[in-house]
Amino acid sequence: MSPDSEIPGAGGVAPRAIPPNGGPGGTVTGDPELVAEIAGDEGGDGQRGGPWAIAWRRLRRNKFALFALGVFLLIVICCLLAPVWAEHVAHTGPNQTHPLEKLHEGNEVKEVVEPSGKAIGPQFFAAGGKFFLGADGHLGRDEMVRLLYGGRSSLFIGVVAAIITTVLAVVFALLSGYYGGWTDTVISRIMDVIWAFPVVLLSLALGIVLAVGGLEIGPIHVKGNSLWIPTLIIGFVYTPYMARPLRGEILGLREKEFIEAAVAQGAGSARIMFLEILPNLMSTIIVFFTLNIANNMLLEAVLSYLGAGVQPPSSSWGTMISEGFEALYNEPLLTIIPGTAILLTVLSVNVFGDGLRDALDPKSKVRFEARAGTADTEAVGPV
Amino acid sequence: MKKVSIFLLIAALAAVSAVALAACGGGGSTSSPSTSESEGGSKPAAEGEGNEGGTLRGAYTSFPDYLDPQISYTAEGWTAMRPVYVPLLTYKAAAEEEGAEIIPGLAKELPKVTNGGKTYTMFLRKGLKYSNGEPIKAGDFKYAVERCFLTNSGGSPFYTDIIGAEEFAKTKKGGISGIKVNEKTGEIVINLMKPRGTFNNELALMFVAPIPQKTPDEDQSATPIPASGPYMITKSQPGRGWDYERNPYWAKDNGKEIELPSGHVDKIEIEINRNQSTQVNDVESGKLNWIFDPPPTDRYQEVKEKFEGTQFRTEPTISTYYFWMNQTVEPFSNLKVREAVNYAVDPAALERIYTGQIVGTQQILPPGMPGYKKIELFPHNLKKAKELVAESGVKDKNITVWTDSESPNNDAGTYYQGVLKELGFNVELKILNPDNYFTVIGNTSTPNLDTGFADWFEDYPHPNDFFDILLNGESIQSTNNQNFSQINVKPLNEKIDQLATEQLGPQQETEYAELDEAFMKEATWAPYGTRTLSLFVSEDINLETAIWNPTFETELTSLEFKE
Repeated sequence: MSPDSEIPGAGGVAPRAIPPNGGPGGTVTGDPELVAEIAGDEGGDGQRGGPWAIAWRRLRRNKFALFALGVFLLIVICCLLAPVWAEHVAHTGPNQTHPLEKLHEGNEVKEVVEPSGKAIGPQFFAAGGKFFLGADGHLGRDEMVRLLYGGRSSLFIGVVAAIITTVLAVVFALLSGYYGGWTDTVISRIMDVIWAFPVVLLSLALGIVLAVGGLEIGPIHVKGNSLWIPTLIIGFVYTPYMARPLRGEILGLREKEFIEAAVAQGAGSARIMFLEILPNLMSTIIVFFTLNIANNMLLEAVLSYLGAGVQPPSSSWGTMISEGFEALYNEPLLTIIPGTAILLTVLSVNVFGDGLRDALDPKSKVRFEARAGTADTEAVGPV
Repeated sequence: MKKVSIFLLIAALAAVSAVALAACGGGGSTSSPSTSESEGGSKPAAEGEGNEGGTLRGAYTSFPDYLDPQISYTAEGWTAMRPVYVPLLTYKAAAEEEGAEIIPGLAKELPKVTNGGKTYTMFLRKGLKYSNGEPIKAGDFKYAVERCFLTNSGGSPFYTDIIGAEEFAKTKKGGISGIKVNEKTGEIVINLMKPRGTFNNELALMFVAPIPQKTPDEDQSATPIPASGPYMITKSQPGRGWDYERNPYWAKDNGKEIELPSGHVDKIEIEINRNQSTQVNDVESGKLNWIFDPPPTDRYQEVKEKFEGTQFRTEPTISTYYFWMNQTVEPFSNLKVREAVNYAVDPAALERIYTGQIVGTQQILPPGMPGYKKIELFPHNLKKAKELVAESGVKDKNITVWTDSESPNNDAGTYYQGVLKELGFNVELKILNPDNYFTVIGNTSTPNLDTGFADWFEDYPHPNDFFDILLNGESIQSTNNQNFSQINVKPLNEKIDQLATEQLGPQQETEYAELDEAFMKEATWAPYGTRTLSLFVSEDINLETAIWNPTFETELTSLEFKE
C-alpha cells in the first residue's frame, strides 16, 4: 500500500471510511477536526498529501528524533559489522580466551592478563586494533569484539521479541475486540493472568527454567543456551501490554460506520479484521513496536544480568555488565562500556519512538511503560 | 592436677549453673561474655586474649549442598557443621599436621582394633545430651551409618565394608548387622568384612556423627537436627542463611570431656550473599566478621596487599581442581580424546584465570598428601592434542560442559569450552547455581553429563580419600555420585580395594604414587591445579588465634573478637 493512497488496503470491496484517529491507514477528507489540525500543521500551504506523507513531514521537523534514529542506525551498522572487526582488526572471536597472550607495542611487551588477574585496558589502535577497548577480565577476551557481538544479541532479542509481541498482540486483540463475547472473555482473562505477574519476575522464572532444560514443543526443540529462549520469553511476557490497548481501540473501531458498511456488503470476519480494522491500527502498532524494542532490550539486559537471559559464554550487553560487575572496583570500564551501549541504544529508540508517535498521531495517549514489573498503559480506546 | 578448694569448687559450680540456666532461658540475646570454657573444664585448642561472647556475622556465597551431617559432602557444609555435630572420633581443632590428628569425639577413647583389623570396639561417653536435652545413645551412631545409606549419601561408600552394609544399601531394611550396640554400657562394636586401613579416618567423618534415631531419613537442611557439639543451628533457611547459638548442654555435659573448643562467641549468623565483592566490602566495613569464600579474583590481590597479616591470611589446601570426562559416553569413552584434552588444557592459563590462587598440576594427588610424587604426563601441546582427536575417529562431537557460576569456576568452564572448541567439538556450556551444582552432576540420570569442572578437598589425610570415592568403579551410584568420570577399570578398582585394607606406610605410599600415574594414563581427568584459600576477617576479629583446619577449613569455634 502506498503511504499516500487515499483508500487504504487492497481489494476495495467496501469504501473505507475515515479512520477515527486520522492515522495513515485512512483518508483525511472526512474528519473536520483532523483536517483542521493537519492544515494547521502544514501551515495551509496546500502540500497536504496522504497521512503518511504528513507524518513524514512532521517527523522531519523533529530533528531530535532524526538524530536519535541516526544514532540507532549507526549502532545497528556497527554491530552488524562485528564479524568484520573480529576477523580483520581484532583477529579474535568473541569467546576466544587469551589469558597468556602478550601484546607487542613497539618495544613494549604487555600481558593481556597480568598474573594478578588484572586485564589490559583500552589499547585503541596501539596494537593494530587488538584489544581496542581492552580485555574483559582474567579470561582475556577482546572487549570490543564482545561488545559488538553482544550488541547483535541484544538487538536481535529487542527486535525479534518486538515482532513476536506485535504479532501475538495484534492477533489476540483483533479476535478479542472484534468477536467480543466468550472469545473476548477467555482471551482477556488469559491476558489478565499474564499481566498479574510482574514482568521481571515472570520472565526470570521462565528464563531460569528454560535455560536449564531448553524448550521442547512437539518437533521444535530450542536449546537452553539459545538466543531464542530469552527472545520468546520477552516476546511472550509483553504481549498483554500491547494487546489490551489495541483491543480497546478495536472495540471503538468496530462500532464505526465503515465496519457496518463492510458487514452490509457481506465481507467476512477475517477480511474485516485484517483489511478494515488492522490498517486503522497501524500508527498505534508502529509506535508500540518501536517503544517495545527499547523495553525488550532493557529486559534482556536485566535477565542476562541475573543469569536468566543470554547464557555465557555468548555475550550480550546484559551479560557483559554482569561479568564486568565482578570487576567493578578494579576495572569499571567493563561495566561502563556495555552500560553506555545500552543507554545510547535505548535512549535513541525511545526518542525516535516518541518522535514517531508525535508524527503519526499527535493526539495519541499511547504510552508503553513496563519497568520492574509494573505497567502503566494508557490506550486510545477503552481497555 | 591442682587441688581445688571447696570454696572455689562451690564458686565454679555456681557459675556453671548460672550459665546453664541462662542458656536454658534461650532465645534472648546476651552480650555478656560466656565463661563456659574455663568453668566447664574443656581445653579449647585456641584460647586467645580476646573477648568472649558477642555475635559473629559471616557470609557464604552459596548455601551448602546440605546442612545435614549424613548427606553433606562439601567443604561449605563441613565448615558449617563442624561446631554442631561431633562424630565418635574427630579431628583436633588445630592447624596443619596437628589438625590431622584423630582424637576421641563422642567416644570415650580411640577404638580397640582386633580380629586382624576387622573389629572396632569403642564406648560412648556417658551423660552426653543433644541440644534438645535428649540423651545421646550408642544406637544413634548405628542409625547415623544406616541413614547414610537410606539417604543415598555420597559418603556411604566409606561404610560398605561393614558387615551387612551392602545388603542394607540394597534393601534399606533390617539394619546393618555388623554394628552391635549396648545401650546400657555404651559399647559399640563394628565388624568389617575385611580390614580397612582408613576406618579410623572414616569414623571421624561428619557422615557418621550420631543423631537422634527419630530423625527422618530425608534431607533436614531446613529443619536443623539437634546438635551434639558446642553450637546448635537454631534457624536454617536454605538459600538465605542460618543461625547458631550455643548448645546449652555442651557446657553442662558434652563439653566437659570432649577435647574440642567451646567457641568464643555466643551467636553466629551466616547469610548468603552471592556478590563476593560486597562480602569483601562488608568485612572491610565491619558489617561482616568473616567470610567463607576467598575474595573474588579481581579483588584478591588488592585485599592481600592491604590486609595480609592483619586481617588476611593465605592457607594452603590439599585439593585438586580438575575437569572430569564421562567415560561411559562418546567422545570421552575414547582414550585418545581424553589424552587430547589433557594435552590441550594448560594449567598455566588456568593459574592466570584463578589469579594465582591455584598452583598448576597434572595429577590426581595434590602436594602434601602422602603418596604424592610429581608427574606430568601431558605437557601442554595443542598440536598433539588436535592430532589425537583426528586419530580417535570419534563421531559424536557434541559435548556439554558443566560448571558452577561461582567465580572463577565459571571462567574455568568458559576457558575449557574454548579448548574443546579448538579441538573441533561442538560445545554447549551449562553454568549452574553452585547451591545445587554437585547434586545435579552427581545424579547419573541427568542428561548430557559429558564433562565439566569439579574440585576435591581431602576428607582426611590419606591418599585413599582421592581414589576410593572419586575413581573406584564400585563407588558409582545413581545419586550423590562423586565418580563423575564414571571410570570403572577392574584392575584399578582392585588395587584401590587392596591398598584400602593396609595401614599407610612407605610401601603403600609408593603404590599410591603408582596408582596416581595409572589413573593419569587413563586420562580420566584433566587435573589443573591445587587451590590456595584464604582467611579474611574484620579488624575486630583476632586473626592470630583463628584456626585453619586441613579438613574443616575455618574452625568457627576459634573466631573471637579482640578486646
